[in-house]
Amino acid sequence: MSRSQAVSARLARLAWLLWPLLNVPAPAAGTPPLSVTIYTDDLALVQDRRQIDVKGGRQRIEFEGISAQIRPETVSLSAHDITIIEQNFDFDLLTPAKLMEKAVGGQVTIVRTNPSTGAETREQAEVLATNGGVVLKIGQRIEVLRDDGLPVRVIFDKVPDNLRAHPTLSVTIDGAHPGARPATLSYLTPGLGWRADYVALYDEAQGQIDVQGWVTLTNSSGATYQDAATVLVAGNPAQAGSRPVNFRAPAPRSSLQEAGTESGSRDRVGDYYLYPLSQPTTIANLQTKQVSFLEVAGVPAEHGYEFRNRWLGTADASGVATPQSAKSTYSFSTSAHSGLGDQLPAGVLRFYERDRRGAPQFIGESRIEPTPMGSTLSLATGDAFDVKVRASVEKRTRLANLEWQTDMRYQLTNALPREVTVHLLQEGLRGDARLLSESLKSTRRSAEVAEWVVSVPANGKTDVTASFDTRY
Amino acid sequence: MTALAAAPAAWPAAVPAEVRADAPADLSVTLYRAPYRSPGSLDLDRLGGFALVSEIRTVRLPAGESRLRFEGVADGIEPASAIVTGLDGVVLEKNRDAALLSPRALIDAAAGKPVQLLRADAKTGEPERLPGRILSDADGGVVFETAQGIEALRCSGLSESFSFAGIGALSAHPVLSVLVQSPHPVSRQVTLSYLARGFDWTADYTATLSADGKSMDLGAWVTLANGNGVGFPAAHTQVVAGRVNREGADVRPLDAGGPILARCWPRGSTSDTPVLLQLTGALSRSETARAAIMPMAMLAAPAADAQHVAQEQLGDLKLYRVPEPTTVASRQSKQVRLMDRHEIPVEVIYVAELDSGAASVAVAAGRRLRTRNTAAHHLGLALPSGSVAVFASHDGMRLLERESAIQDLAVGEELELDAGASPDVRLSATSETADADRRANRVEIRNARPGAIRFELRLRLPDGARLIHADHAAVTENGRPLFRLDVPAAATVTLRYEVEPAPALKNPR
Repeated sequence: MSRSQAVSARLARLAWLLWPLLNVPAPAAGTPPLSVTIYTDDLALVQDRRQIDVKGGRQRIEFEGISAQIRPETVSLSAHDITIIEQNFDFDLLTPAKLMEKAVGGQVTIVRTNPSTGAETREQAEVLATNGGVVLKIGQRIEVLRDDGLPVRVIFDKVPDNLRAHPTLSVTIDGAHPGARPATLSYLTPGLGWRADYVALYDEAQGQIDVQGWVTLTNSSGATYQDAATVLVAGNPAQAGSRPVNFRAPAPRSSLQEAGTESGSRDRVGDYYLYPLSQPTTIANLQTKQVSFLEVAGVPAEHGYEFRNRWLGTADASGVATPQSAKSTYSFSTSAHSGLGDQLPAGVLRFYERDRRGAPQFIGESRIEPTPMGSTLSLATGDAFDVKVRASVEKRTRLANLEWQTDMRYQLTNALPREVTVHLLQEGLRGDARLLSESLKSTRRSAEVAEWVVSVPANGKTDVTASFDTRY
Repeated sequence: MTALAAAPAAWPAAVPAEVRADAPADLSVTLYRAPYRSPGSLDLDRLGGFALVSEIRTVRLPAGESRLRFEGVADGIEPASAIVTGLDGVVLEKNRDAALLSPRALIDAAAGKPVQLLRADAKTGEPERLPGRILSDADGGVVFETAQGIEALRCSGLSESFSFAGIGALSAHPVLSVLVQSPHPVSRQVTLSYLARGFDWTADYTATLSADGKSMDLGAWVTLANGNGVGFPAAHTQVVAGRVNREGADVRPLDAGGPILARCWPRGSTSDTPVLLQLTGALSRSETARAAIMPMAMLAAPAADAQHVAQEQLGDLKLYRVPEPTTVASRQSKQVRLMDRHEIPVEVIYVAELDSGAASVAVAAGRRLRTRNTAAHHLGLALPSGSVAVFASHDGMRLLERESAIQDLAVGEELELDAGASPDVRLSATSETADADRRANRVEIRNARPGAIRFELRLRLPDGARLIHADHAAVTENGRPLFRLDVPAAATVTLRYEVEPAPALKNPR
C-alpha cells in the first residue's frame, strides 16, 4: 500500500468516525447534500450526497461541480444495490484547438460569406490535419482554412465525448434494479485549507490583551461548495511524523513556552480537535472566508524583550559596530482561569496597540503552534527600536587542542524613558560548555542556552560579561 | 452509454439581503516598511511593505441576516486581517472574492448559461442576435453552441461577440463582504480595518557638510508609496519605523481579470513567413521612476517652512504622523518632511580595516562623518533607516559626495555616515616577519591632504590570536584592536605591530 493510499484509508476511517458526531442543525428538508471536512494543511474530504437515477444495466454517471484538483484515486461512490465498473477522471479541456484536433478525419460544415453580396455558401469538408494550420478536403479539393483571409465559419456537429469545460469525474455503474436512490460520493482534494487568525489588542497601561480568533478558510480547488456542512479538523494527517529533523540547524524560536495540561470542551476525534461550523456555508472558489470562534477580553499579558546571540555572534562582524535590536515579546496564558481559556489551533496572531489618538495600530504578528489549553505563550512581534544589544567576542584563547576560552561582552542599551527587562540568551553552547565567570547570575535554560535576565535603566545601559570554556 | 448529470438535491437556505456600505467617510492609512529590505530607496515596482488601512463607513442593515459589502478596499488586502468593529449584530463570516469584473470573468461566470451571440452581417454590418450557450472557456479559447451547431469564438474572421444577461456578483474593485445578523434594522458607523500589501516607505536623508568640515545640516524626507490600484483621498496618514515581525502567509492574489483571449485552432496559412519575435527595449517603469525620484531626494533643498511629521511612541515602534490629512493616490509616491537639523557638530574620520596578517595591501582610506544622536549634538530623535546623500559645500554650491544608508538609530547612539573613499589618504601594509609564533607587520598611512587628519585602523585577528606589541597605543573595541592615529598634513605615519597566533593544533597522537 503506498503512503498516499495509507493516508486515504486512514482519512476515510476518520471520516466515518466523524459523521455521527457532527453537530449540524438539520433543517426539515434533511441533511445537507454536501459535507466538507477540512484539515489544516491544504487537504479536504468532500462528501457529496446526490440522487442518482439508476436505469438498470450499465450506465455512466458524470459528476459536475467537483474539485478540479480532486485526487481521483481517493474517489468512492456508494449507493444501495449498484456495482461500480470503473471510474474515469477526464481532464482534456474543450478549447477551439482541441475541438479542431479531434475533428481530424471527420466532417465539419464550413460557411463562406461573399464579402460583396453577403451570400452564404455551405459546404461539407473533411479535416485532414491541424498542424500549424487547418488543412481541409472539400469534395476533391484540398484547401487551407482561411488561407485567403476571408471569413469562413466552421460549424461542428457535436463536442467529442471526452472534451469538457472542466475536469469531470465519471463513474460507470451496473445497477440491477432501476430507480432513483441516494448516493454518496466522497473524495480527497487539495486546494481547500484553513488556519486560525487571531487579533489581539494590547493595552500597555493595564497589561492586558483582548483576543478574537477567526477561522480562515481558503478555497482554490476550482469548485464552489454550496451550503456545505463544514467541519474543520485541527490536525494534519498527511504529514504526521514525516517532518525531517535537522539536528545541525538551531532550533527556531518556539512561541510555546510551556505546554498546558488542561482539557477543553471542544469536540475531538482521536487527538484532533474539531471545529464544526454552526450552519451550512457556501465556500466559493477563490474565496477567503472567515468565521469567528474565539472572543476573550482582559487577558493579562506581559510585555518583555528578548535577545538571542548565536555562538560567536559579534556586532563587529561586518566592520561596522552595529548594535542589534532586541525582540519585543508578549506573553500570556491560555489557561481557563487567567488566560484565553481555550486550546488554540495553529495560525497567526496579530497584535495591535492604540496610538495617542486612540486608533489601533498594527505592531507585529507571530505564528503560533497548536497550543493546548493552560499553556504559556511568548510571541515575538518584531524589533524594539529603542532597546538594543551589542554583543562582542572580546577574546578567544586556545587552552588546549579543542578547548577554548571565549570572553563575551553584551552591552544593552535602552533609549526608552522607563526601565526595561531584557532576556539575554546565548545560544549554541554545544557539548561540554561551561561558564567560567559572569558578571550577572545566569540560568542555564538547557545545555545549549544560557539566559540572563538583565534590567536596563531608563535612558541607560547595562553591560554583561561572561567567559565560556568550550570543549568539543 | 448514456451520460447522466447528477444534480445536487435542493437544499433550502435563507438568502441574506445584499447591503452595500457607504463610501468611507474617514480614512486612515499607516504604512510599514518592508521588514527585510536593506535601508535605502524604494523600488516602486516591488513595494514589499504593507499598510494598515482603517475606514469609517456608514451602514444601514435590515433586520435579519444580510451580506454587507465593503467596496473599493485596497487590492493588496490581506482578507484574514480584516476587522469590522461597531456592528451590533453578530458577524457570522467574512469573505473576499478574488475575481474582479473583467471580460474574462464575465465569460467565466457565463459558462454553461444562456447568452446572446452578436455577429455582424458581412454585407450590411447589421448585428445579428442568436441565442446560444457558452460550452467552455478553458485555456482562453471559447467554444459556444447555437441552434446552427458548435463553433469557436472569433475563428471565422467575422466580428463576433457575446451579450450577457448580468454581471452576477462581480465588482470593479475588490470587495470584502461580511455576513451579519442584526436583530432589528440599524443605521450606524462601523470601522473596517485591514492590512494591505503593496505599500512601502523610507526616509531619504540629505547631509550637507559645512565648508570647514566641522558641522553638517541633516534634512530628511519621508518617501511613501502606494502601489495599489486604489487611492486613499484625504486620509490620516502615518508611517511606522522599526521592524515588525511578519509571517509570510500567502495572500491569494486578486484575479485582476483580462481580455477575452478567444484562442483559436492553428491559423497558419500557405503564405506565412516565419516571424522572429522582436522584443522592443521599452524603458521599464522602475528606470523612469528612479530617474524621477532621485532628483527629488537629491535636490531637496530644505524648505525653511516645511511642515514636519510628528513622532510618537507606539509600543516599541516609532509612529510618524503626517500633520494634516493627505491623499495617498493609487500608484503614487509622495514625500513629506521628516526633519531638518542644522549645525550638527561632526568629526571627519578616515578609517580602514585590515587583516592583521595582510602581507601586502595598498588601499584608499574610507571617510566617515561621525556624531552622536543626542540633543547636545542638535539631534536626539529617533532616526528611521533610509538612504543618505552626503553633500559637500563648495563656494556656495553643493556637490554630491556619497550615497549610503543608515539603520534605525535610537536616541543616544552613534551616527556614522559613509562619506566615500579618499584617494588622498592611502595605507599600505607589509608583512615583515611571519614566524610560526610571531608575526610582525608594518602599516604606512600617507596623507596627501593639506590638513591633519584623524585616522582609525581596525585589525581583524585570526581566531585565538592576540596583539602582543605595537609602537602606537591600541584600544580594544568589540574585542578587536583599534589604533587612533593623528596624521599631520602631507605626512606619513608608520605603525608596527606584532601578533601571536593561537598555539598550533598539536597532533593528539
